Amino acid sequence: MTQITRRTALAGAAALAGSRAARAADPAEVKIAMMVPLSGPWARSGLLEQMGARMAVDDINAAGGIKSLGGAKIKLVEFDAGDSAEKAKDAAQRMVAQEPDLAGGFGAWLSSFTLAITEVTERAELPWMTLSYSDAITGRGFKYVFQSSPTADAQAAEVVPIIMKLAEKATGKKPTKVAIVGDNSASSMSFYKPLKDHVFKEQGLTLVVDEVFAPPLSDATSIVQKLRSGKPDFVLLQSTNVGDDKLLVEKFAEFGLSAKKMPLIGGGGHWCAPELTKLTAPENVEGVIVALADWPGKKAAELGKRFVERTKEPWFGHDSIFAYAHVSILAAAIDMAKSADRHKVAAALHSMDLTTGPADLFPDGHVSYDEKGRRKGAQLCVVQYHNGVPMPVFPESIATTPAFWPKSS
Amino acid sequence: MDIESLIENVANALTAGITIGCIYGLMCIGLGLIFGIMKVVNFAQGEILMLGMFASLYLVTGGGILAFLGPYIGPFVGAILAGPIVFIVGALLHKFLISRVSGLKTAGSIDDGHFGQLIVTLGISLILQNGGMIVFGSTPFTVRTPLSSSAIEVGLGYGDATVFLNKAKLIACAVAIATALALYFVMEFTRIGKALRAAADNPTAATYMGINVDNYYRMAFGMGCGITAIAGGLMATYLSFGPFVGFDYVIIMYSGVVLGGIGSIMGAFWGGLTVGFVQQFSALVLPPQLQNAMIFIVFLLIVLLRPQGLFGRSAERA
Repeated sequence: MTQITRRTALAGAAALAGSRAARAADPAEVKIAMMVPLSGPWARSGLLEQMGARMAVDDINAAGGIKSLGGAKIKLVEFDAGDSAEKAKDAAQRMVAQEPDLAGGFGAWLSSFTLAITEVTERAELPWMTLSYSDAITGRGFKYVFQSSPTADAQAAEVVPIIMKLAEKATGKKPTKVAIVGDNSASSMSFYKPLKDHVFKEQGLTLVVDEVFAPPLSDATSIVQKLRSGKPDFVLLQSTNVGDDKLLVEKFAEFGLSAKKMPLIGGGGHWCAPELTKLTAPENVEGVIVALADWPGKKAAELGKRFVERTKEPWFGHDSIFAYAHVSILAAAIDMAKSADRHKVAAALHSMDLTTGPADLFPDGHVSYDEKGRRKGAQLCVVQYHNGVPMPVFPESIATTPAFWPKSS
Repeated sequence: MDIESLIENVANALTAGITIGCIYGLMCIGLGLIFGIMKVVNFAQGEILMLGMFASLYLVTGGGILAFLGPYIGPFVGAILAGPIVFIVGALLHKFLISRVSGLKTAGSIDDGHFGQLIVTLGISLILQNGGMIVFGSTPFTVRTPLSSSAIEVGLGYGDATVFLNKAKLIACAVAIATALALYFVMEFTRIGKALRAAADNPTAATYMGINVDNYYRMAFGMGCGITAIAGGLMATYLSFGPFVGFDYVIIMYSGVVLGGIGSIMGAFWGGLTVGFVQQFSALVLPPQLQNAMIFIVFLLIVLLRPQGLFGRSAERA
């Protein structure tokens, strides 16, 4: 039988103390959450966000992690927001209960989901970043919600003058008739309100067709038939998922109203999801103009190239760049706060004023948030499908090609 | 709205109503057949539709065995062949699960096995949805054909008024009608049809007449699944879909079956057709977001005014 002598006991205690000291020197992981739709009609957008977020985490960890925390690695905790606001809210409740040590998070893509989950994250005082567009998300007086996109009402006010200028330049006359086709999700409803309240009036436009549907669409015949009868000069499309986009562009093509003949202005990142040109023939989307909250510019060209090599996706777009940006901004805030404490991270996000790093991922090159949590100076981006690929056409800082306007209008 | 636009709107709603309605009708027949013969309310019928879509997809795209047929013929042959594939799935589901809570085994029990059927079919629905998520992923799919974005244009003889007949939906409609007629022929004029009807009307008496009721119930369940799968394959030519698509259409199926007359198999087809019409015509006067609400208003009116359904008799079955 082996006897435990005083010498062996002391040696054991010393070894234990040594290993504890070693663990203390090894910085703990910092957890951030991602909640995006990974199932249901909006899953494709969620998957694109997931790719961007995972790449950002790998890049930050490979570069040495969070410097002020001794090189602590970031761990991404992923949650599925599902296909309804109820499921998203349930997932958020599960997230705050299961992961009490989160430093922050981002999601949940669709405004209706984001509105639901931020009720939970705000109660948990968890800093939450989002690309969702609805102005209601940061219009409720919440202190822990940070919206990086231009809000839907700001986008509505910005996009129509851009389109009017483009049309006037191409055709020599100002459009007078406009149509709205879109779903009844929160971001779309936020988009319609300022348009109908004042934007159309200010631009001298008459709304000739106003068709709002409940997603997902099962058929678009009646909608496109009304557009054929109403003969608008351009159509603002506010669908929110790739399936509805496919159904709409195919019905437009069937009725001889493709974007090559009738100017179609889509809204939102899903219009540039690579899946769209797999679900429908690229000629059906040719010429479609898309207004969205972010698109990679020249400064993100190298990142985009690496993303394409890593994921085999055809391009780096709206959903992926936002996820990459949000992980990077959260990492920067944790670094600034020198702590993974959620309150200190939120304070860092409020005081942040970046013009490099994550700021290069936005067309305006600036990351700072106002007292409502909205990103200051957030600028709208416009891309257009040229030969089956979305090409940035506005603003100047990201544009690589000029926009074209259908000649027959 | 001028008269030309009005004529065009109504004509396009009519043709879209017929084409979509026929596909819905076929979808409803599957559910109606299962209920009509077996008195089983199959809550997994939406997921059977989804299986039909994926069966057609894997037959037609990539290295599928029908890829050589090309994008014009392949998708429709794929939709038809999805029927026998999902028939086998349905027959297996019946053999190992549904038969335990239906048929002669539960005849005479307090609830005739309905509670068990509810739980089992709901369970199958959840397993197929989540299993589909694991196997197929959440990326949307479609069976691509150039026919889904092209139309036959027919002038109406009044100004420029034109009817646009979507080519994919037109072929899908023809396949749906042919399948429904084939089923009608089988049910009315063949020994199998007579045995199925006998098993539906009085299973005990059918057993005494030498009919293996459980086998015919298996056949009915498989046929119900196969027919809905064909409808799914046809819908896959113009819709995008994923593992959860069934949920969007199961409500339409139930509405169609109740509208047509619960228990009446061919009534289910007319019920589905009615749903298609209501969906398209309501969009002429109401915002599109109320299209599905209108289906339920008509549904409730039918339940209130004619509980046996539009085309059913109160005691009709099969």
